[in-house]
Amino acid sequence: MSVVNDSQAVGTKDGTGEFEPTILAFACHWCTYSGADLAGLNRMNYPANVRLLRVPCSGRVNPQYVISAFNKGCDGVLVCGCHPGDCHYVSGNYFAKRRLMAFKRLLEYSGMEPGRFQVRWISGSEAGKFRDTVIQVCADIKNLGPLQDREADALASISVADLQKGAEAAGASASSESAVAQAATANGNAEKAGE
Amino acid sequence: MSDIQTTLRTRAAELLSSGEVVEVIGWTAGRFDNQTTPAFITKAEDAESLVFNEYCVNTTSKFSLMERGLGKVAVCVRGCDSRGINRMITDNQLKREEVHLIGIPCTGMKDRKTGEELLKCRECSYRNPVVYDELIGESVTEPELNRFDAVEKLEAMDQAERAAFFDSVYERCIRCYACREVCPVCTCKSCFVDQLAAGWQGKRSNVAENKFYGLTRVFHVGDRCVECGECQRACPMDLPLMLLNRKMIKDLDLLFEAGEAGLDAEGTNPLGTYDVNDVEEFM
Ligand code: SF4
Ligand code: SF4
Repeated sequence: MSVVNDSQAVGTKDGTGEFEPTILAFACHWCTYSGADLAGLNRMNYPANVRLLRVPCSGRVNPQYVISAFNKGCDGVLVCGCHPGDCHYVSGNYFAKRRLMAFKRLLEYSGMEPGRFQVRWISGSEAGKFRDTVIQVCADIKNLGPLQDREADALASISVADLQKGAEAAGASASSESAVAQAATANGNAEKAGE
Repeated sequence: MSDIQTTLRTRAAELLSSGEVVEVIGWTAGRFDNQTTPAFITKAEDAESLVFNEYCVNTTSKFSLMERGLGKVAVCVRGCDSRGINRMITDNQLKREEVHLIGIPCTGMKDRKTGEELLKCRECSYRNPVVYDELIGESVTEPELNRFDAVEKLEAMDQAERAAFFDSVYERCIRCYACREVCPVCTCKSCFVDQLAAGWQGKRSNVAENKFYGLTRVFHVGDRCVECGECQRACPMDLPLMLLNRKMIKDLDLLFEAGEAGLDAEGTNPLGTYDVNDVEEFM
């Protein structure tokens, strides 16, 4: 299943016109989804770039869903749930908070721009916060541009061996010869990656 | 080292002939001088084939799971192996009374191809076993090192550089899952990568889907990883997996004081617990 369905696509990624990102928002049934509903009842306007996906609880959002959304064409992912302390299942969002804090750092460390993946607590009465969040996330992602445009084949300027040298220098048993051997492997790797 | 080997053989024979254990897990000679292979010794007379030298590169902890149900098994453990055993006990995969631990202080193992000390050993700060029933050989001094050095360097790079770096890393992964097989904390009976019917989980071998596997692996083990470095050693494509594992470990420690896994059998569970006073950054 592709998240980006041509008949639904609100914008273009082919350079004609302004870039319209596709954003997947996980919304918990008990709070954020009601908040979004309230925003609708109050006829608030927010960008149509966001696709809402209702989940029972923010704790139900497996980080794999987030990576999968990016792989299937989303430019941004937002996870929303009840405020800490308000979870319908008592503690689901506390678990989600820990997990997603660690996951967000891991994702950004592995190369994702900060801002592509965001998490917010929005209650059922916070229609305004829902609208403001969607507007802000959408603007962030528009600024970042399409995810697919990143040069996937850009060669890394740093090799694994370069990084490991430090640990080696700190290690008591490291020899300078092994640094040379490491550098040789580094060149080998760079060539491999360049092929 | 040859002293250790002699004592190890004697003790293994004693343990097996007295019936105290039904099997001894260690290493035996491989095809070449600079190579060993894991050994599963069940007869006292075979204890002579046990080997301990600087090429005992395999960690033994995961093997003890394969032998569950046979009876008590003796396992040779260095620092890395013993932490794996501890963590498997924390994870309810193994019971302490199912294993007899023969502790062996370690001075580092060598890479068969280069003759240099293995990277996982250069980055190791637990050379002495952290749990054992008997100890063979003298304790060794633990080296001083900053195991997060490489992670810190990567963190300091800008995002585009890191993206390029990890893309070039995941370009090489061949999805052989060796990293999963050897890991003492990868113990699910049914792994997500084997759930062929779940179509949304990428199975192809390309950068995006390799990353999907790789990041999920790190996320699944990161809160329990004992830093044995076996995944990285086993990887046939030389992926620097410890750079990812250690990132998780570092963050979980900073955010939730997770500490180091596998130092005792109680263990911590940073992602399976929470505290209402956890720092808030999603408001
Ligand atoms: S993830 Fe790697 S270093 Fe961590 S416990 Fe598993 S095999 Fe060992
Ligand atoms: S061992 Fe290496 S090549 Fe094999 S699946 Fe793991 S990371 Fe990929």
